[in-house]
Amino acid sequence: MNPAHKAQLEAALQQVTGFIYPNEAELHWSILVVIYPYITGLVAGAFILASLEKVFKVKDLQPTYRLALLTALAFVFVAPLPLQAHLGHPERAFEIFLTPNPASAMAMFGFVYAWYLMVVLLLEIWFEFREDMVRWRQQSRGLKKLFYWLISLGSRDVSPEAVAFDHKAVYAITILGIPSAFLLHGYVGFIFGSVKANPFWSSVLMPIVFLFSAIVSGISLVLILYYVTTLIRRKTLDQKCLNALAAFLFYALIIDLSLELLDFIHRLYESEESIEILAELIFSKLFISLAIVQILLGTIGPLLLLAFALFTGLPNELKRLAFFIAAIFIQVGIFSTRWNVVIGGQLFSKSFRGLTAYKLELGGQEGLLAALGLLILPFVILYVLLKLLPPWDDARTSDTKPLEG
Amino acid sequence: MKSGKIPNQVLQVGLVFLIVGATMILVRQRFIPESFGELGHYRADAVEVNASHEIQFAGWQACAECHDDVVATKNSSFHRTLSCETCHGPAAEHAREEAEEDPPLPTGKELCLTCHRYLVSRPTGFPQIIEDRHEPAKACHSCHDPHDPVPSERPESCAGCHATISRVIAVSHHAPLDCEVCHEAEPEHFLRPRAHLPRKPFERDFCGNCHAAGIETPANFRGVDLTALDIPKIEQDTHGGTLLCWQCHYQHSPEAR
Repeated sequence: MNPAHKAQLEAALQQVTGFIYPNEAELHWSILVVIYPYITGLVAGAFILASLEKVFKVKDLQPTYRLALLTALAFVFVAPLPLQAHLGHPERAFEIFLTPNPASAMAMFGFVYAWYLMVVLLLEIWFEFREDMVRWRQQSRGLKKLFYWLISLGSRDVSPEAVAFDHKAVYAITILGIPSAFLLHGYVGFIFGSVKANPFWSSVLMPIVFLFSAIVSGISLVLILYYVTTLIRRKTLDQKCLNALAAFLFYALIIDLSLELLDFIHRLYESEESIEILAELIFSKLFISLAIVQILLGTIGPLLLLAFALFTGLPNELKRLAFFIAAIFIQVGIFSTRWNVVIGGQLFSKSFRGLTAYKLELGGQEGLLAALGLLILPFVILYVLLKLLPPWDDARTSDTKPLEG
Repeated sequence: MKSGKIPNQVLQVGLVFLIVGATMILVRQRFIPESFGELGHYRADAVEVNASHEIQFAGWQACAECHDDVVATKNSSFHRTLSCETCHGPAAEHAREEAEEDPPLPTGKELCLTCHRYLVSRPTGFPQIIEDRHEPAKACHSCHDPHDPVPSERPESCAGCHATISRVIAVSHHAPLDCEVCHEAEPEHFLRPRAHLPRKPFERDFCGNCHAAGIETPANFRGVDLTALDIPKIEQDTHGGTLLCWQCHYQHSPEAR
């Protein structure tokens, strides 16, 4: 046995309680598999927020519409990377497109992902920004001009009819995009929910719970990004927009919490033979990450804070700060949710008689540093996207105005 | 500006999708092996490639043709579920008498430790060692015969192998009873446990020795004074019909009253 591997295994074995099967001492799905649903959730959530403005005509959210789209794009680029880093051999990922296997939910992810990236996000962003890209090209020189020419696919038409067609196209794609975003993240929940050998995962509620936590995480991420980018740009925050974001965040969080409670009560009432080991798991290994971080700090705390800020006469400055803090705690809570599902689901033995432990490496392909890198990468991509396709109203060319839906 | 009725931007985007789609079709034609999908979601030719590999393992029956005495010993020992080639390596060439050298005799510890290294998830009765503490300087085969492995020393107590049962019974109502009260084991059982199985009680009367109504609690039941215990009593003739005691009660942890 490899000495490093042996030392790692020995450290893990000291955390084992009760009886476990030999292949359960070491967890197979690492922190990278935690990051994967976390990032896909952010993508779906950010897109659904964008669709609120476009399809459901929530005008107050207009300042965040384009930012939400670019956020979804930046994160969707990174979404498959944790899986590829976890599995190794990223060059083989392309094969799932060559030989589609409809019997494998995992293999079909490639198509769900490609559909969402190519047909929904890229197309919607292209139509949304087309007019601006044409004008930016006209105003710039050299390489930048070439770049805008390339990404606008040589488009030149900025006549009112063409722009009106863009608006219609964006509307149609968003309508198509809502079920697609539900599919993208519902699919991630489906993957876990359909592992019938694992009682912690196997639940038909899983896709729905994942979806609503995705909406919560997406809205809170866009709120954080809107807050931070506006402050960095030294502009004023649109209080109406922040209020609307916080209100949607509050309602989505209530639904998310209710669904999770429903799942919890359903499990308790069903009381299958796994309930004892799951109770032991929750009260020992997962107590801090589930009871304290996910439920108390990540859900109940932000709910109270948002309710207090929304429904009392707090001054706007304090309101904004409260929204921002709540959104940060929600992010921590949602990351914890993903952690509890992915890691928690592997901590108990299939014999239902023992618990094992997860020891996170620092370096290495599946270590903490790789995970941090993958979490930072979308922000780097977003920074580049914001530079190339500024979503701010003041960056729009003089004779274009914010879209009227 | 429209060409016909289709807006320009649709044509531009459509062209990109067309290029991506066409590339995909070309790539599919170039890279998918011809036999893919004939038998399932894999390259059917792979079956032939695997079938054409030279056979490496002979199987224990081939070994038994010459080494019948060793195989017979092994087949009646604790290692009876292992195949010869598990330890000696693939020996098809040797069996065909084409090999220049005999199959290797594994002398290091590593092979034995694959199964016998201490691992918390292994069953407690399974022989396991911590290699740094268990004769670190000696090879395994200098004390144990791999074809008929037995513990070199008599285990100190039944718990040495039956640890799970001993832990259960230690917190049960039967904790004061030694194993020997119910099981009579010959001394050989400690060295060759499967060849000399201990006896188990087979009759209701055995449990009745303590639990039948009207029978006085023995002051010396196989060496144990039971009078201090508050033993539950039953009408042996009517209690439980024709069922045997252990069909309802687990002797190593009888339920609380």
